[in-house]
Amino acid sequence: MSAVLEVTDLGRSFGGIAAVDGVSFEVQQAEIVGIIGPNGSGKSTLFNLLTSVHKPDRGQVRLFGQDITRTPSHKIARAGLSRTFQLPALFVNMTVRQNLWTAAVEGDWRGAPELANEVLELLDLAHVSDELAGSLSGGQQRLLEMGRVLMQQPRVVLLDEVAAGVHPRLRQTILGAIRELRSRDATFLIIEHDLELTQDICDRMIVMDAGKIVAEGSFEEITHDPHVMEAYLGVPAE
Amino acid sequence: MSSDDSVRKRAKRGPERRGAATTSMSSATTTTKTAEAPTTGPRGRTIRMAGLIAFAVIALTLPLWSTPYWIRIATGVALWAGLALSWNVICGYAGYISFGHVGFFGIGAYTTAILMQPDHGWPFFATLPVGIVIAAVFAVITGWPALRLKGAYFAIATWAIAEAVREFTTVADWTGGAGGLTLPIGPGSNYFYYVMLIAAAIAYVLCYALLERSRFGYRVKAVRDNEPAARAQGIDATKVKIQAYVLSAVIPAVLGGINAYWITFINPQSVLNTIITDQLVVMVLVGGLGHAWGPAFGAAVLFLVNEQFLSSFGSSTSYIAMVGVIVMLVVLFLPDGVVSIWGRSRRTRLVRQLLGRAADDFRSGNAAGSGGGR
Repeated sequence: MSAVLEVTDLGRSFGGIAAVDGVSFEVQQAEIVGIIGPNGSGKSTLFNLLTSVHKPDRGQVRLFGQDITRTPSHKIARAGLSRTFQLPALFVNMTVRQNLWTAAVEGDWRGAPELANEVLELLDLAHVSDELAGSLSGGQQRLLEMGRVLMQQPRVVLLDEVAAGVHPRLRQTILGAIRELRSRDATFLIIEHDLELTQDICDRMIVMDAGKIVAEGSFEEITHDPHVMEAYLGVPAE
Repeated sequence: MSSDDSVRKRAKRGPERRGAATTSMSSATTTTKTAEAPTTGPRGRTIRMAGLIAFAVIALTLPLWSTPYWIRIATGVALWAGLALSWNVICGYAGYISFGHVGFFGIGAYTTAILMQPDHGWPFFATLPVGIVIAAVFAVITGWPALRLKGAYFAIATWAIAEAVREFTTVADWTGGAGGLTLPIGPGSNYFYYVMLIAAAIAYVLCYALLERSRFGYRVKAVRDNEPAARAQGIDATKVKIQAYVLSAVIPAVLGGINAYWITFINPQSVLNTIITDQLVVMVLVGGLGHAWGPAFGAAVLFLVNEQFLSSFGSSTSYIAMVGVIVMLVVLFLPDGVVSIWGRSRRTRLVRQLLGRAADDFRSGNAAGSGGGR
């Protein structure tokens, strides 16, 4: 089986600092891969390179076997790759419901109102559906980011700390939504600082530090990896 | 702070909003904007329709019972309402502050004037489509690079483009230079009143359908609010911005053509004067940036006030001072414009957001040279 997402030697520097430095990995269909690493290790930049928000200096990204390295963001989205942003990037002067509809504007527009109602119920946003997105609390904003992903009915999903600051009960809701999408063969790449959450849901973990992948494997493997301990605690493990 | 009392207001209106929201949900099977339901229940819709019909009857029968003076005023209101609408499209909906909108007005005016010169002799209505095409092409050519700029930089670029158009008409022979062009005398003032009214009405219906009742409106507003996020939803932001810019450019071109035939004499000082853009900005801010009917309201109020000032005090600079005060009061206390008084509309952060963005551009520009964002 060929990989859904293949990343080869991807690199990008900002003003002499290599934010992402020769990253290569593959993600298989319906796999959930967690990406962890200290702040500034290049996780969010990696997402921005995968979605053409930034252009890479080198390397290649393939989605379903197609080279998308220099494909514009909107075409990548239309190819079935959906993402959330680390700092919620909502349409703040539109209502919550309109935000959801907008996510379907290039997709199933006719089905959008019905699907939006389902998503609003699922993410417990129905009571604020007609409020402006800019007036939501931080946790609700992340839920709405997740809601837009669900509206896009994506095949590949990049989640950037989507559960940060979200109430524990709603975290379970988000996890439920991820599992549900996966059951429909969606593939996930998840940046998350909460190790418990990643342990819960990820099939495999990638650990980044200083723009490079320092470890890869199951949760058990990477939590016993000396490189990981060094990256997280600053000292080599015993 | 005002954000606090907006929260309080919202809390006070909570239950009725929620009630309306549930009804809208159960009827949300069409793709129309049921999200607007809180203030447009069945009764609200009837009142609105009645108001619209009353307005249409008054507007259409005006020449039967009014005086020529008021016909002239009403023609002016229709003209400015249409122009303000076009500025609202690019700024209020697309989020780009254009300070060169008068350029398109001038392009339309000169197109009609040149084609109606005796050596060409085109009929009036045939000149308007030509003006539309020229303005649209000009908008694509200038918008393609300019729309890559943000906030204050876009404002400066568009201002410079409009100045370039004005300079061109001043030096070129076939535009009559600084002396301008004289058009054939047109039919009476009722004719121009109806033509202007119909043109403005078509522009409103078109913009309302495109921006408030279709996918295109969602695309445009998404790009305005957050371009990277819009792209992540699959929206081709570059294309959408150019489309919105073209839409906002063809309206002043048509109105400029009608206006030129109406006033029968144009020169760079009259139809390419920066003060026209300034007026539009003020009208839209006062009426309500980003709201469908805000510009019409702002245009009507300010045009009438301006006329009243002219007839009472003659040409006076006190009008400018008064407009300055109005703008300050509106931006500080009614950032959503006068239309927001009726509670029809939600409080947005549009004015502060756009002005803030522009201010940030200058700040980062000063700090980091040309900047351009990370």
